[in-house]
Amino acid sequence: MKLLWAVSALLLSCWQTNASTAPNIITEPSVVSNETSAVLTCNLTDLTLHIKGSHWTHNGKIIEESESTDPKAHISYSLDKITYQTSGEYECVFLTDPQVKKTIEVKTLPHVSAYKHSEHGNENDKGVMSCVSHGYPLPTDWVWFKVADDDDTVLPISNGTNDRFEIKSTPNKTTLTINVLSIEEDIGYYKCSGTNELGTNSDKVHLRVRSRLAALWPFLGIVAEVIILVTIIFIYEKRRKPDDVNDGSAPLKSNSTSNHKDKNVRQRNSN
Amino acid sequence: MPPAAVTNLGYKPPDGGWGWAVVFAAFISIGFSYAFPKSLTIYFKEIQEYFSVSYSEIAWLSSVMLASMYAGGPISSILVNRYGSRPVVMVGGLMVSAAMVLSSFGTTIMHLYLCVGVIGGFGLAFNLQPALTIIGTYFQVKRPLANGLAMTGSPVVLFTLAPLNQFLLDSFGWRGSFLILGSIVLNCCVAGALMRPVNKLSHPEPDNDSEKYNGAAAEGAATEDSSTQPADPAPEEGQKERNGQSQASKFIDLSLFRHRGFVIYLTGNVVMFFAFFAPVVFLAPYAKHQGTDEYSAAFLLSIFALVDMFIRPITGLLGNHRWIRPKIQYFFSFAVSYNGVCHLLCPLASGYEGLVVYAVFFGLAFGMLSALLFEVLMDLVGAHRFSSAVGLVTIIECGPVLLGPPIAGALVDIFGDYKYMYYECGILMLVPGIFFFIMHYYNYKKLDEERRQSKTGEMGTSEEMTDQ
Repeated sequence: MKLLWAVSALLLSCWQTNASTAPNIITEPSVVSNETSAVLTCNLTDLTLHIKGSHWTHNGKIIEESESTDPKAHISYSLDKITYQTSGEYECVFLTDPQVKKTIEVKTLPHVSAYKHSEHGNENDKGVMSCVSHGYPLPTDWVWFKVADDDDTVLPISNGTNDRFEIKSTPNKTTLTINVLSIEEDIGYYKCSGTNELGTNSDKVHLRVRSRLAALWPFLGIVAEVIILVTIIFIYEKRRKPDDVNDGSAPLKSNSTSNHKDKNVRQRNSN
Repeated sequence: MPPAAVTNLGYKPPDGGWGWAVVFAAFISIGFSYAFPKSLTIYFKEIQEYFSVSYSEIAWLSSVMLASMYAGGPISSILVNRYGSRPVVMVGGLMVSAAMVLSSFGTTIMHLYLCVGVIGGFGLAFNLQPALTIIGTYFQVKRPLANGLAMTGSPVVLFTLAPLNQFLLDSFGWRGSFLILGSIVLNCCVAGALMRPVNKLSHPEPDNDSEKYNGAAAEGAATEDSSTQPADPAPEEGQKERNGQSQASKFIDLSLFRHRGFVIYLTGNVVMFFAFFAPVVFLAPYAKHQGTDEYSAAFLLSIFALVDMFIRPITGLLGNHRWIRPKIQYFFSFAVSYNGVCHLLCPLASGYEGLVVYAVFFGLAFGMLSALLFEVLMDLVGAHRFSSAVGLVTIIECGPVLLGPPIAGALVDIFGDYKYMYYECGILMLVPGIFFFIMHYYNYKKLDEERRQSKTGEMGTSEEMTDQ
């Protein structure tokens, strides 16, 4: 019994010491939601600790301009423009022994962008479209739509809509795969939309389906050109050949060539 | 004065006329042979994603194609010796075309290796050797210029194919593009059709002036002709000589390994080829490593290709000059050494401007070397044995060509710095360059001795004949 009481007292004191480090820093504001700009401040209340300096981190990386060796207990960092790039988890870190830090979350709408705005696929092959998201927090829900021709109505697509469609989603990326592309049905715009706790954003991807025979016409055209050129060259050669024969190249004329050679020998020997 | 039986050709090459059409045809063939494997790299990313393979597996495609192209050299030589250039080039064009069309229906990466890599590579080999060989049969006096012009095909076709391939990829995907490339490559058959066999019997008189231009080839001619035919011009004997030579060179002429000039060329080239392609491959990555952006790095390659394109015909013209032609081997040695010096100085280039300067000088060096590469071989062994020579040379160079870039890459990985790779390339170029200078000095001296000996020998026999 006494042992049990001692152990629980020990645990309680440990918890209390742990809990007592947390309230040392007061953050203002504690969370930034959907603002265009903000000033993050941290106030270290426990003045018994010796502060050697401080800095801020963004998503785990130290912000170099915020590094300071000033032993201030009240530090701030201002965000002039909050975009998906500057959103995330900010930590104010006091260089004490041990270090104390606290997190301030800066949240924005998700930034959704298509990996490629124009995708190609071949008929009867598969077509893949992807959207990625940056920012904080990452979307928890992804939905794909097919945009109808009148550009207004959208048809939601999910894994069950059609056995040709497959959707794979992770918080920062979503992929729509169409397994057997058909020219009539699948050409057009697709919309991917991601939702997080603050709201929704979306982007469009244009899918083009190439016909299997599209490459055939240039191929046949160039082959025809080659055949024509080769024929022309051979015909030209056959028609020129009689001229060359008259120049004394035919084997029948070897007697005359030997005469030429004998003459030359005689000339040279006489020199 | 007896006619000097030094022309190992047995006829006077046209040096013009239809020869220029043949140069154009060779331009196309050589251009496709060298530029096609390099330009296919544009499709790698899409094919890699389609078949879900790693980058090194897809890079093998280029290597297999290049390896087949070099390994097919001897086979190509045998066929050219037997049938002449024209049929071989046309068959080669058909092979590459069929390979590309088949591969556009491929379902696995193995398909691509076999079709594009092996069959395509052999087809390109059947394009390269005959194109080089036929220039030697059509040109004697203007041969360096013809060679320089023909070798310009490589950068020009690469320059054209690269953006074209990108356009095809965007419009048709890789399958459609391969199909269309198959038809584009069929134009090699047109090039083959232009390669009319030279009319040997229309100019039977050997030319005394050609002694000047034969240079080192005179060695082979002097030993062959003096054994088969003294200064007797009878046409039957002349034909017998031609038949005798064609019997020997029906298959591949392995006696080349006893040819002094050939052995010099081969030894130097084997070492040099380790460092030949690596700097080109690593130019853009090195620039990016120095901090330039992707477009500027790619622009460096364009500068290099443009300079290369213009310097090749200019080198051909220079090689033709009466001061340089007789001692063209020295010009080649200079080109090799200059390459080496260029690479050794590259690490000193600082900033983007320094890299641009390097790219210009490297383009000059590379173009000079490429334009002369086969011209000097022709100069050494003569047009008759060139076909076999180039076949043997390409299959032996297969190793260094394939191993060069990976070794350079390994150096970069081990040291984390590109300068050691440039030092390695520089030394591997400079040493053969100096080797060539020394050995060719010795070779030229020997050739002059042999020529003087054979001349006095001929004078002796002709005096005997006139006495009779």
